[in-house]
Amino acid sequence: MNSSRSIRQNTRPDTLPNFRNLGIVLRILLISNGLAVLQAILLANAWTDVAQNMMQIATLLTPVLLTSLMLLWAAQPWLHRITYRQGALAVMAMGAVLTLAIYEFGGELYNPVGGSKYYFDDARYALLSVIVCGILLLYFRLRAKMLSRALHEARLQVLRARIRPHFLFNTINAVLGIVRTQPKKAETALEDMADLFRMAMTDARDLVPLSREIQLSKQYIALEQLRMGERLSVEWQMHDLPEIALIPPLLLQPLLENAVYHGIEELPQGGSIKIVLRLSGDELRLTVENPCVERGTSASGTHGAGDFLYEHHRSAPQDAGKKQRSNNKMALQNIRERLDLLFDAEARYKVESGSNFYRVEIILPYVKVRPS
Amino acid sequence: MTTVELALRVFIVDDEPPARNRLRDLLNDCSDQLALEVVGEAGNGQEALDKLAEIPADIVLLDIRMPQMDGIELAQHLLKLPKPPVVIFTTAYDAYAIKAFDLHAIDYLLKPIRLGRLFEALNRAREAVPVQTEVLRDLLPEPRKNLSIHERGKIHLIPIEQVLYLRAELKYVTVRTAEREYLIEESLNALEKEFNSRFVRIHRNCLAAKAAIEGFEKGGEENESGWMVRLKGLDELLGISRRQQHIVKEFG
Repeated sequence: MNSSRSIRQNTRPDTLPNFRNLGIVLRILLISNGLAVLQAILLANAWTDVAQNMMQIATLLTPVLLTSLMLLWAAQPWLHRITYRQGALAVMAMGAVLTLAIYEFGGELYNPVGGSKYYFDDARYALLSVIVCGILLLYFRLRAKMLSRALHEARLQVLRARIRPHFLFNTINAVLGIVRTQPKKAETALEDMADLFRMAMTDARDLVPLSREIQLSKQYIALEQLRMGERLSVEWQMHDLPEIALIPPLLLQPLLENAVYHGIEELPQGGSIKIVLRLSGDELRLTVENPCVERGTSASGTHGAGDFLYEHHRSAPQDAGKKQRSNNKMALQNIRERLDLLFDAEARYKVESGSNFYRVEIILPYVKVRPS
Repeated sequence: MTTVELALRVFIVDDEPPARNRLRDLLNDCSDQLALEVVGEAGNGQEALDKLAEIPADIVLLDIRMPQMDGIELAQHLLKLPKPPVVIFTTAYDAYAIKAFDLHAIDYLLKPIRLGRLFEALNRAREAVPVQTEVLRDLLPEPRKNLSIHERGKIHLIPIEQVLYLRAELKYVTVRTAEREYLIEESLNALEKEFNSRFVRIHRNCLAAKAAIEGFEKGGEENESGWMVRLKGLDELLGISRRQQHIVKEFG
């Protein structure tokens, strides 16, 4: 499965990090420079020396770092194909060779006449660069291990959130309600439900084609429309959408579910959910907007907007209300976590809520069938 | 006393059409063994109140989660009918409500609804008495969204945000909106407790809507040093009792 590989490089403990990911690049820069600062402090005799030392280290470190990052960026597809062990060795060898090359090339810049012996410095810098590479690789490996566990938990959470009892039982009840009069429609509904649950049980690490997620979301909407009839309508807006784009599974559907459960269902006349999907540059933007019950000056509506999500206006017992709110929060938080794990700094998430609408926007990198 | 078994008149309230469909099918199945008749159905609380005022029912099958007014509030308003029906709640999943129902031995049906359970519930309902208002209020710690009065054979809903003040007189409470007054048979103390986030007590016998308070004026029939409160949209001033004078500072 080619299509599912792209995502794993960040998360599988047994692969190298994706050197084309902005988050990874930033981490490499930060950690290397952090180590340099440490070294500058170790070498110094007084605090005033630290800046001086840092400058010296940076003159060699910065060009090495930048060329390494460029090389890694270029070599990413190849590194991705070989085994982890080979890749790690290659990265360390590259680090050492680059360091030496730049050191030699820099000539007097790094080695003023009368400095220490040439070969000693060669060996020293090569060793240092291998150690720094090793530290970085170890860090990414540990991080990936942690993330893959978190991802596993996230998958379970999605599963739990997906099988929202309210949705499950109401839908079964609705299907039973039409099974005598419209058996064909009931069949379709059960098939849609099976698809939805199957998707919830797939591996959350695999990316799925956007077209698949759209189809699933439409099936979900059809199930909800079965229950709510004309009260629920959906407006799809898709601009220049590459259907081959890959996204994490169940990214759009939970947003729709929230829009239905906390928005449309609360409105006696129902309403329309607006879904905008578009590609802008290298980014895929998904927006879901729904109307919701006016949060006027009613006694309980004192919560601020922003991150607090929906003030649930159902006059149900407070405990239950709280629980539902936290369910809603959980689903959204899970999406946020998964985006963090999968795309690091390259994905963003925005929530906007007014007195009678709620909008979530997700921005994620456009991943094609293969990133390389 | 011998009575000919009259057909049970059943009314269905659910916001989802297929769910109403399902109940109609099942009631139809029950009718072989139990004399019953579906007298109507409604998709929301207001519609249910309007229809039930015209065609009375013995049993109302009532969904809990509905937009605008949920089933538990609707059940409270239904009690204002001349002959309140027995309510059987239906719900897909409401952990809190279910616990409370069990506690108070109130009948409910879980969706997807089973024929056997519905049949049992209908049989039991024949002998059952309507759930008391106090119990329903316990089920719903949040305040109601409407007050209701029975007027000329109809249940009239007064949205709570339209109420300017509530004043106790003898055995009734006067509900004042910008347009007119209504009388309800509830206790002022209970109303104060239920709506304490919305109303403030200005007098032993009067609660004023906090949001409607426009200003305070000196005066009053008792003495010159007393305060009166002016409410938005009302010409009359309401006296503040000596003990409640502190609210002038809080809201002034």
